[in-house]
Amino acid sequence: MVAPVTFPKTERAEICARDTTLETLLTTPEGRRILTCIQCGTCAGTCPYGEHMDYPPRRLINLLRRGRIEEAFRSDSLLRCVACYACMAKCPRGIRLSDVLLPLVKEQTLARRPEIPAELQRALQNTLRYGNPMGESSRKRANWVTSAGTPVPILAERQKPVDVLWFVECYTSYYPRGIDGSRATARLFHALGIDFAILGNEEKCAGDCGQLTWESGLFETLTDYNLEIFRKYKFNRIVTGDPHAHNAFHVRYPMYGFHYPVLHTHQLLAEHLDALKPKLVRPLRRMVTYHDSCCLGRRAGCFDEPRRLLQAIPGVKLVEMVHHRINSICCGGGGGGMWLDTWFKSKGMERLSERRVREAMATGADVLAVSCPYEIFRFEDALKTLGYDHKMVVRDVSELLAEALGD
Amino acid sequence: MQPTPHDPVRIGCYVCHCGTNIAGLVDVADVARFAGSLPGVVLARHYKYMCSDPGQELIVRDILEHRLNRVVVAACTPLLHEPTFRKALTRAGLNPFFLQVVNLREHDAWVHSDAAAATQKARELVHAAVLRVVHHRPLEIRQVPVHRDVLVVGGGIAGIHAALTLANGGLKVYLVEKEATLGGHMARFDKTFPTLDCAACVLTPKMAAVGAHPNITLWTWSEVVKVEGTVGNYRVTVRRKPRYVIEDRCTGCQECVDACVYREPRFPDEFNLGLGRRKPIYLPFPQAVPPVVLIDPATCIELKTGRCKKTCVEACGDRRAIDFHMQEELREITVGAIIMATGFRIFDARRTPYYGYGVFPNVYNALEVERLINAAGPTGGELILRDGRKPRSVAIVHCVGSRDEHTNPWCSRVCCLYSLKLAHLIHERTGAEVYNFYIDIRTPGKGMEEFYQRIQEEGLHLIRGKVADVYPDPNDGPNGRLIVQAEDTLMNEVVKIPVDLVVLAVGLEPHPDAENLRRLFNLSCSAEGWFLERHPKLAPVNTFTDGIFLAGCCQGPKDIPDSVAQAGAAAAEAYALISRGHIELEPNTAHIFDDCSGCKSCLPLCPYSAITYDEDRRKAVINEALCKGCGTCVAACPSGSIAQHLFEDEAIFSELEGLLSAR
Ligand SMILES: Cc1cc2nc3c(=O)[nH]c(=O)nc-3n(C[C@H](O)[C@H](O)[C@H](O)COP(=O)(O)OP(=O)(O)OC[C@H]3O[C@@H](n4cnc5c(N)ncnc54)[C@H](O)[C@@H]3O)c2cc1C
Repeated sequence: MVAPVTFPKTERAEICARDTTLETLLTTPEGRRILTCIQCGTCAGTCPYGEHMDYPPRRLINLLRRGRIEEAFRSDSLLRCVACYACMAKCPRGIRLSDVLLPLVKEQTLARRPEIPAELQRALQNTLRYGNPMGESSRKRANWVTSAGTPVPILAERQKPVDVLWFVECYTSYYPRGIDGSRATARLFHALGIDFAILGNEEKCAGDCGQLTWESGLFETLTDYNLEIFRKYKFNRIVTGDPHAHNAFHVRYPMYGFHYPVLHTHQLLAEHLDALKPKLVRPLRRMVTYHDSCCLGRRAGCFDEPRRLLQAIPGVKLVEMVHHRINSICCGGGGGGMWLDTWFKSKGMERLSERRVREAMATGADVLAVSCPYEIFRFEDALKTLGYDHKMVVRDVSELLAEALGD
Repeated sequence: MQPTPHDPVRIGCYVCHCGTNIAGLVDVADVARFAGSLPGVVLARHYKYMCSDPGQELIVRDILEHRLNRVVVAACTPLLHEPTFRKALTRAGLNPFFLQVVNLREHDAWVHSDAAAATQKARELVHAAVLRVVHHRPLEIRQVPVHRDVLVVGGGIAGIHAALTLANGGLKVYLVEKEATLGGHMARFDKTFPTLDCAACVLTPKMAAVGAHPNITLWTWSEVVKVEGTVGNYRVTVRRKPRYVIEDRCTGCQECVDACVYREPRFPDEFNLGLGRRKPIYLPFPQAVPPVVLIDPATCIELKTGRCKKTCVEACGDRRAIDFHMQEELREITVGAIIMATGFRIFDARRTPYYGYGVFPNVYNALEVERLINAAGPTGGELILRDGRKPRSVAIVHCVGSRDEHTNPWCSRVCCLYSLKLAHLIHERTGAEVYNFYIDIRTPGKGMEEFYQRIQEEGLHLIRGKVADVYPDPNDGPNGRLIVQAEDTLMNEVVKIPVDLVVLAVGLEPHPDAENLRRLFNLSCSAEGWFLERHPKLAPVNTFTDGIFLAGCCQGPKDIPDSVAQAGAAAAEAYALISRGHIELEPNTAHIFDDCSGCKSCLPLCPYSAITYDEDRRKAVINEALCKGCGTCVAACPSGSIAQHLFEDEAIFSELEGLLSAR
């Protein structure tokens, strides 16, 4: 009997070999799992864009098992996959759809299209050229540090080993609302006396969007680069506030020999909750609902830590949306979705961030708390579009914690 | 013609092909040739089926013609055919313990793929046996009498049927049930598939028969707390929890219940899964057996505070059945055999959070719906929503907590059928549209496919797709409908069906008590936690512990017909054991040599209390009738003064020598 797959769970083992292709997939351990698919349709049923897919995972598996997977490449179905892990988390056979099969098919789908949706194309190119999808100058990556309000040491200038390497990531380095989150994180690290440093201008995007499409070229360039940089320094663990970077380090980097412990900022802060709690002295008097990000929640199984942090803030009342924890609904930004809004719209697809924000509004909360920098933009935008921006604000959990700090 | 230890050893060695089971991988001719070259081996043969009649005759003839005095058979596991070959030796006039069986099938051919290595391993195993068998001695099989009473644990349909079968056969049966009434799950159903006959109509007569049977001692509200002894002679301690009502005096009139100071029933009623209310003094359900009320100490004012008007006692009057001072009792019984019939529990649907059980009020599990459509249930048989309205559309979600790696990987076998049954009953009672969401419809068994067809004709909606999500319809207000979302895999489309009520067809899983019972009764469990049968095909109601048998869902999910059939089989096995009157015990007991120093270190180690100390001789003494041959004392004796039949040091060392001789 196959040992039952317990998922979600933070496992460090290789998901599958990095040179796996659709031709070799069925001979791998993951392929054997795929062979056990019972065609129950849970994947399509739970997919936030399931209605818009000609080839949901169930049908892909059927084609793969019959040696006819090429048929799926003619459809743009997989471009609609936002890599939200919903199908994978609920698959009764424990097939790791979003980790292996879907990105492999997505890569082929993209490769065979005459053109890639312009926004996505640009983001991928920028990431390759500048190390961030926005196309900002890589020499300005650490500029935000000057406005941090607290010292943010940079490894190259520090010259000695550090406990926590804080991998800041792109949105949180360049965009004002992202930088708000970084400032908050810096204040919290400082308040807790955490020994940390960042890579500064040496850092480049971890490449999660590349890995979500199994875009090996782009992804490997970034992986090689970042691994090289990591090797230069001595540190105990990597901490990042971006669940997508967390995901890349957690799922794909180990296939390339990466072996550091990785934590999301909120996991690290939750570890220090006893020390943090007495410092949270400013009551917020807010009704907060928390959105589980796909990569941190469903993929990494981190559901409790952010909630524990929120409940530690005096005055915060935490309420749940209908869909939460393992059943959370994606903001629509994963798997390249961040740069496909226009394309989704052209296909008549609802914006998932709007669906999510409606659910958040229905709770009566006035704060939508998040743990992913993508979500800040997506939800703030959705609130504006729907005319709710006076009733609800979006905040990273770290921002709320920093707000509650004394001094 | 019994050989004496001084006769020259003459060994016959037989290598079995077992069809192709062994010979398909192991070179049996080579192994036989090799055996023939070993010291003391007079002849060595290989043969297609040693266990067949001609195979056995071969051994008998050789013993007589070639004056063999030792036999080695290299075949399958000794669990299967050691008795067969021992009988062959006996037939030829040889003591049966001059035999050694080598397991070339399970230990070699079945677990390897390299033919040369497997053949080499077979040679080594045979070599070990040949060197060992030299040291065998003639031994006698012991016989002990069997106690004639039987214990049945669990009073669901399986336990009831097993107890009645044995009692009708004239045996005395103790039936121990944890709850206050017999009946188990079946007592909660309205109708049963595939016949749609009324569950109570077939079950309650059997319950009443148990209650009235002169050969059955029924102890409800009771649990087994200790089991000692072995097959034929189990000493069992049963704890009888106080029900604060004297069983012999209570007539079941329930006047006390009417008279209780609580005018209205207000405490969640366990029998109705909390869907109804009861008073502190109550009868679990109208046809309960025994028809005896009980008092719940957690809610009874008198038991909690000692300051109640005790109107119940007044109502009981001269019968004087109520006793607030009742204490728990421990009863000891001795039985020859035990039948386990402790059943299952339903899957807790909160473990699949996206179906909203425990969150959305109109999501029920199937057992709750069984109560709601039951005329004797909390709503008098009306299926209603939590706010009292009648549902107009209902979804039944199959495979909740079954066939799922995240919860239970097995198929629970009865859910498809009970879901079809519920679809029929719900439609019949409410006229609602019913949607069954399924992965596969599984209806094996006699009359089951026909039942499926009959329900199909009634026009329910069958949607092939596992439900992925259940959530309130955002377009309805509070108390609105629920959306059931799934892929209709036969139509290649995602459907979102608004319904008033969702029924979760929860799977069956091992009773939470099972692990505890396993230890108490020294049973084995499968990885999932079901009690393990001795052999899936050939000993399906036996366990690895002699004298303990299995019936019903404690062994795995099954329907009522199969539970009853298995209960009958378990009763037959117990009956066979008891009517034989005695059991035969392997003579593998330990014995003490005269040089015992009397240090007593073995005494506390014996798990069977078989060792005593002879004060006069200042030596330990082993009671062979109690010794089970576990070997603990043999290993522990500091002066090496204890030995064990069949496992003497010389035999084991020679065996090792044989195993290692090629290295
Ligand atoms: C919702 C639902 C509907 C069903 N409908 C049908 C149907 O229509 N037709 C059909 O054929 N089958 C049906 N089944 C299956 C049926 O319930 C089982 O086949 C049957 O109940 C098995 O009987 P059992 O005696 O083995 O177990 P149970 O009914 O579980 O009885 C076990 C008994 O043992 C007792 N017990 C447990 N532990 C101990 C202990 N430690 N000491 C003493 N006593 C103990 C329990 O209290 C219980 O009384 C249905 C099942 C479900 C869940």
